[in-house]
Amino acid sequence: MANSIVSIREVVKEYHLGQTVVPALRGVNLEVERGEFLSIAGPSGSGKTTLLNLIGCVDTATRGIVEVAGKDTAKLSERALTSLRLDTIGFIFQSFNLVSVLTVFQNVEFPLLLQNRLGANERKARVMQLLEQVGLATHAKHRPNELSGGQRQRVAVARALVTEPLIVLADEPTANLDSKTGQAIIDLMRSLNQQKGTTFIFSTHDFKVMEHANAVVRLADGKVLARETPQEAVQHVLGRREAAAEASVGAP
Amino acid sequence: MKTFLLIGSVVLGGLVGLLALALGLTLLAGLIAFVVMGVRSPSKLTMLLRMAWANLLASRINLVIGGLIAGGTVVFVVLGSLVSSLNDSMARSVVGSVAGNIQIYSAKSKDDVALYGNMGGEPDLTAMTTFPAIKEALEKHPNVKTVVPMGVSGAVITPGNVVDRALERLRALYRAKQGDVVPALKDVPADELAQRIDAQKSHVRQIIKVLNADAQKAAAILADKALEPEVAQALARVSSDEFWTGFDADPFDALEFLENNIAPQVTDAQMLFLRYLGTDLDRFQDSFDRMEIIDGARVPNGQRGFLIAKFLYEEQMKLKNARRLDKINTARTLNERKIATDEELQRFVKENRSQTRDIVLQLDAIKTKTAVELLQAELGVAETDLSALLTRFFDMTDETFDRRYAFFYEKLAPLVELYRVRVGDTLTIKAFSRGGAIQSVNVKVYGTFAFKGLEKSPLAGATSLMDLMSFRDLYGYLTADKLEELKEIKQATGAKEISRDNAEAELFGGDSQATIVAEATPGIIDADKELTGAARKLRNEDLIRRVYTSEEINSGVVLNAAVVLKDPSKTARTLEELRELSDREGLGLKAVSWQQAAGLLGQIITGFSIILLLSVLVIFFVAGIVINNAMMMATMQRTAMIGTLRAIGAQRALVLGMVLLEAVTLGFVFGLGGIALGALVVQLFHAIGIPAWNDYAYFFFSGPKLRPDLSPTNLGVAIGIIFGVTYVATLVPAFIATRVSPLRAMQADT
Repeated sequence: MANSIVSIREVVKEYHLGQTVVPALRGVNLEVERGEFLSIAGPSGSGKTTLLNLIGCVDTATRGIVEVAGKDTAKLSERALTSLRLDTIGFIFQSFNLVSVLTVFQNVEFPLLLQNRLGANERKARVMQLLEQVGLATHAKHRPNELSGGQRQRVAVARALVTEPLIVLADEPTANLDSKTGQAIIDLMRSLNQQKGTTFIFSTHDFKVMEHANAVVRLADGKVLARETPQEAVQHVLGRREAAAEASVGAP
Repeated sequence: MKTFLLIGSVVLGGLVGLLALALGLTLLAGLIAFVVMGVRSPSKLTMLLRMAWANLLASRINLVIGGLIAGGTVVFVVLGSLVSSLNDSMARSVVGSVAGNIQIYSAKSKDDVALYGNMGGEPDLTAMTTFPAIKEALEKHPNVKTVVPMGVSGAVITPGNVVDRALERLRALYRAKQGDVVPALKDVPADELAQRIDAQKSHVRQIIKVLNADAQKAAAILADKALEPEVAQALARVSSDEFWTGFDADPFDALEFLENNIAPQVTDAQMLFLRYLGTDLDRFQDSFDRMEIIDGARVPNGQRGFLIAKFLYEEQMKLKNARRLDKINTARTLNERKIATDEELQRFVKENRSQTRDIVLQLDAIKTKTAVELLQAELGVAETDLSALLTRFFDMTDETFDRRYAFFYEKLAPLVELYRVRVGDTLTIKAFSRGGAIQSVNVKVYGTFAFKGLEKSPLAGATSLMDLMSFRDLYGYLTADKLEELKEIKQATGAKEISRDNAEAELFGGDSQATIVAEATPGIIDADKELTGAARKLRNEDLIRRVYTSEEINSGVVLNAAVVLKDPSKTARTLEELRELSDREGLGLKAVSWQQAAGLLGQIITGFSIILLLSVLVIFFVAGIVINNAMMMATMQRTAMIGTLRAIGAQRALVLGMVLLEAVTLGFVFGLGGIALGALVVQLFHAIGIPAWNDYAYFFFSGPKLRPDLSPTNLGVAIGIIFGVTYVATLVPAFIATRVSPLRAMQADT
């Protein structure tokens, strides 16, 4: 536990839709260690995104404890949470979420400007180095709409990593990409994880993506079913699907 | 009305002030925040600016907002420059014509001074009896250039009709023939006098012929409404040859018969109301640069004299036909109106056709013949009746107008008298003095004048100018001449002055046998003490030629005075200082700015400015609301982007700054564009000039065209308002933007 970068204990998250209370997470426990390349899997509505939101400090738990980088997020102010996000967490979104009016370079530079720690030259060096790593150095002056989906997501990866965060959260990072490009993004993330030791937590329901993780946390109905190896997870999921398929074939 | 305006402006001023204060404070806070950000993290500010700049043309909503800002700015710049140009030109006209920068009058006055008159007649001002001392005290102030004494009053004059004038000339000729001294005919030899008498007589006979024809026409139409028997008899008598062959036997008797019986039949004599400003003419003519002599010359220094306002001269004293032709000409050339399509112009043409008698009556036999020949040639007809020819001539169309207008002034006008009062005439002006007695003075008309920029103003153009001595005579105040006259009378009657306190004792007690002259209100003359008859007349003729010293002009009462300043920009301060001066030295003065002194005119200007200011405020208020709405929409459209920024670590303050900066950048870019466009429009207006489409517009424009100028203040205010309005209109959307949750980033679908 001492090595945990994320520690989640007995977390409950409920949404209120008018009078109805919709439980998204029902007592989740999870420890994530530094340098992990962790996949969160599960069908739609299982609570993947909610869990990521809590880890990413963009949402707070109804009950239970969420500790990120040793800080209990429930005890932090809005302002402190924002600072925590800026300094500790990098985000990769399903829809890339780049600022359309800024260039590739400016998009990646943005978090550094928010941090306001590096001088212009250092910033430039850092951004260009990352763009090299994601293979987009030649596209620095392009606008997001001039890039393909895969290229955009690579820009997003660069942006997420530019502040050298402890954790990078990716919510379905390949969902909007074709399988080949998705594969390339995951490979990129994995190599950065190995090079820098950055913790990656990403949600997915794609086996091929899951396979790259060093562990898979399987969620269903707001509960952690298991923390297992990718192979185990794939088999579980496949098994369930086959069973479902047989059930539907066998049905009268 | 005044109170209403005052309360209105105070309330409005208060509201605007509060709004401006709130606005200023928020702006200041925003500015400080941006400066702090700029110092602590210049790159962050640069980035926000970059985003704001990049966002400018990225969204359609921004273009709408930008268009609105630019449009609003154009309107503001153009309207603003119109208002200030109107105000400036009016201010120049008013200050430079009568008002001066400041007006002073007695604090005891019942009413406030109203130089161009007020609704309900002239204001009741108490006279200042110690003007020389007041003048001396005020002129010591370093910013006072000069103090011009004044007083406004009115009188009725009857310039006489065409028969009266013809008979008067004939009488003068006979008097000259008889050996009387008639200055105008002094050097005319006897044989020429005889010729002139014949010509003049034939003119009178011509008039009688016209009157006869009129009478016959009337009889033909309305048999029972024909002339009264005495008039018919008189007409028959003067139409007969016997009357004219016997004329020379007793010309004065015959003239009297004509004056008493025939002249009243011509009804063109109109009573004219003259409003005049009595003033130190020398000083007036030197101090008011807007005044210009149109006909004739200025009144010689120190002399009595009268200058008729050109507007009044044209409107009331000019031959009606000529006046109507002038109006048609102006309408056609200046306002591009057409007789064919304009009802008013058609009415003028119709009136000119039917009202030719004024001209016919004026012409004697020789001139009638000349006129008939000229008109026959011009119209290409054989008609011999002048009246018929004139009717045909005045039947003008757009095609014939210009030619005939020129013909009228070149050929016909020299034959007639265009004005009922001519430059050089002596006017007898009768007025009720303050004491209620009728006073009359004879003043020579030296010319006509107008105030530049107020030529067409019925308000300003209704006031003629009179020397202060005649004014005091008419108003019933003592003048140098009156003092002399009084002295003579007193010596002759043995009267002595006693004080009011002793009056009772002098009247009822003691054994004084002297005639008592009660001391009335100081300075007011008793009409009984005036000289009458021939002595009076002789004195009047002397008076016209008498030259007065500046001291004589100034000593005596004045009602109000214009204070002309060296530096008009310090008017408000000088006004305060003059008030203090009056209190300190016990001058008993009220001092007001030219706007207040202009009375109704001043109120019109103020009202006009308020209306335009209000409309500009409304425009920007509406613009503010629309900008607010549009900004709200723009924010709603960008919640995903804002959520993303928040998720990756942007604080709320940054989001607030981003939206505000974007709005201000938008305001700045489009506002500057609007200012440039507005300036262009104003310059364009300046170059071509906005033509005055009617007399009211002419009045407000202070001339035939308004040429608005750009004022730097105006542009500065425009920039300030744009920033303010955009900033305030964006505050709410910007605040809402800070409430966007970073969760929105996760739900993004872009």
